[in-house]
Amino acid sequence: MLEDTGFVDVRISDPFDTFAGASGEEKARAFAVYGYTFLARRP
Amino acid sequence: MRESGVRREGEPMTDELLAADVAVDPALLREQVKEKYREVATNPDGSFHFHTGRRAAAHLGYDAEAVESLPDQAVESFAGVGNPFVLRRLEPGERVVDVGSGGGFDTFVAAGQVGDGGRVVGVDMTQEMLDRARAAAAALGLGHVEFREGLAEELPVEDGWADVVISNGVINLCPDKQSTFAEIFRALRPGGFVQFADIANGNRVPAEAMRDIDLWTD
Repeated sequence: MLEDTGFVDVRISDPFDTFAGASGEEKARAFAVYGYTFLARRP
Repeated sequence: MRESGVRREGEPMTDELLAADVAVDPALLREQVKEKYREVATNPDGSFHFHTGRRAAAHLGYDAEAVESLPDQAVESFAGVGNPFVLRRLEPGERVVDVGSGGGFDTFVAAGQVGDGGRVVGVDMTQEMLDRARAAAAALGLGHVEFREGLAEELPVEDGWADVVISNGVINLCPDKQSTFAEIFRALRPGGFVQFADIANGNRVPAEAMRDIDLWTD
């Protein structure tokens, strides 16, 4: 979707286990939800 | 870390997740998001499905010294899902927009990185978050930080103003993600960066779950 918008040089970080230890952890595990950092540049 | 373009097994289905635009009523979703984050603003020690405050910042790997330097008022309503600064540290003097700035935590971290010669504009749609962020900015005496009311899909920033747009845990809650990215693109100068943290799922979410508005915010 970033590239569809026109962004280039898209990078994605390793995952963060965002919900580990939080009450939303069980639901996050069910859908393999993790946090990521995205970096892209407008050409 | 990898370049984009090829999804390997076990990697997030980012496109599928982000493509799930308008599976729910956009106006209702926006109101539910406001209600959730109004609660985080006014009762940051409440019970939420995500980490908040200093615990969240430590969990997500923020620079401990930068977090330590901020008062509780600036940190306790932080509810991010990742760290927008891990792939790129901001440069001194940069002009930054923080989309969905909430209580201002990422805005204040950005302000520290760009220094007095830069500028940071936080944008949020929830009045209680704006009130909290503005009070914290005043307490910190940050003259190069400003908070404006607005939506991610209609940023109150002129074309090409920003060197960098940051965000944390906001775009997944936007009903129209394509418009949000187009708006970020508009706000950036050519050569500018978007660097944001957000969640993505590795398992496919059933269509009925996508239409369950409670699952978007709970």
